[in-house]
Amino acid sequence: MTQGYELLDVVDASPEAMYELFEERGWGDGLPLVPPTSARVDALLEGCGGDPDEVLAVLPPRFGKATRRMVAVNAALAGCKPDYMPVLIAATRALGEKKLNLRGVNATTHCVAPLLIVHGEIAERAGFNSGLGAFGPGNRANATTGRALRLILLHIAGAVPGPGDASTQGGPAKYSYCVAENTAASPWGSFHRSAGVDSASAITLHCGEAPHNFHDMESDHPSRILDKCASVMATLGQNNATIAQGEYFVALGPEHAATCASAGWSRRDVSSYLFQMARLPARVFRAQFDLRAWFPWMHGVADDELLPMTGEVDHIKVFVCGGAGKHSSVVPSWGMTSSVTLPIE
Amino acid sequence: MDQIYAPDGPLAPPPITSAPSPPVLAGLRIGVLDNLKPNAKLLMQRAAEQIAARTGAKVALVTDKGPGYNSATPCSDPIFDKLDKEVDLVITGSAD
Repeated sequence: MTQGYELLDVVDASPEAMYELFEERGWGDGLPLVPPTSARVDALLEGCGGDPDEVLAVLPPRFGKATRRMVAVNAALAGCKPDYMPVLIAATRALGEKKLNLRGVNATTHCVAPLLIVHGEIAERAGFNSGLGAFGPGNRANATTGRALRLILLHIAGAVPGPGDASTQGGPAKYSYCVAENTAASPWGSFHRSAGVDSASAITLHCGEAPHNFHDMESDHPSRILDKCASVMATLGQNNATIAQGEYFVALGPEHAATCASAGWSRRDVSSYLFQMARLPARVFRAQFDLRAWFPWMHGVADDELLPMTGEVDHIKVFVCGGAGKHSSVVPSWGMTSSVTLPIE
Repeated sequence: MDQIYAPDGPLAPPPITSAPSPPVLAGLRIGVLDNLKPNAKLLMQRAAEQIAARTGAKVALVTDKGPGYNSATPCSDPIFDKLDKEVDLVITGSAD
């Protein structure tokens, strides 16, 4: 043990032997891993700056100390390049923010996973995919950075299915869940600046479900496109359904965003429209749910009045992501969590 | 021989520790903190009543976490203070 870190002597560092060792120890995500040798970890730490052993966050339920060094260990396992480390360090800090409620995120039976969104200059510089297929496979930066964040949760936070993660069914977003914002195609500039973070690069963590797709191939006006988004949001099965603090991240494809902007709609206009349209009669909620984590004013709404799916316009966050085509998506949150946007230092 | 890091790393001290369980329940006051999960109150209140009947303790307080609080949040400070003053042990934490 060195400063609380355990270094293991391994006779055979072949991929097969590492795979077996990690499986025996109950480590990893089930996929093959890159051995986190001192040389690999040092290489990842080299350009980070700061004290490698500074505690960035303490992560429940295990209460592991997430230091730069331990972030680098898990980044090595996932196959990250050093260029991705600033994203992971900021994301780890975000995991420790109280309003994100990581203890709840890991304890819930819901399928929630932190979606890591990369904003600004670092996305292009480090090669993150913000364009065609951004949520999907084929890009090292997205895949390994998202995977590293999950490995941090599994190892440092102890979010192991069963003892540390109670999710009933789990979900594919729990393997890797990282995209970049397509700032070049955004008619409204970078999301992080609209969220009040004035820096060249930033990250957002939003603890939510996997993306819910919506498509509109034919409309030339925002309302017909966004009505489809609203219908995806106004569903009863999602965890946000009666949780007024719940957030929605709307990942607009560039073509849908362009249609909105060309009609003169701002990012805020899109959120406001969705707040007005993503609604159901109060009696529907009352008929379906005994437990309603509503804001006080919502309890007084008459049965036939329409109630929004979330308590405030600002809970509907809009960013641009993806490439050519007429598809967009909604990522509803787990509910009892709030997103965090932090600068990349 | 190569060396690799274990991926879990060091632990921080737990932010809170549980109080030791009382060895004898006779005469003690039991509180039920309903975390608002479905049927939690029913389940925990029944358990508290059964424990009281068997041990000579009594159920002194049944409460939820306070307005606006829910299963994913700690209870409100006023409720925490009330439990601290009015009961000797608390049953809470029913899951789904």
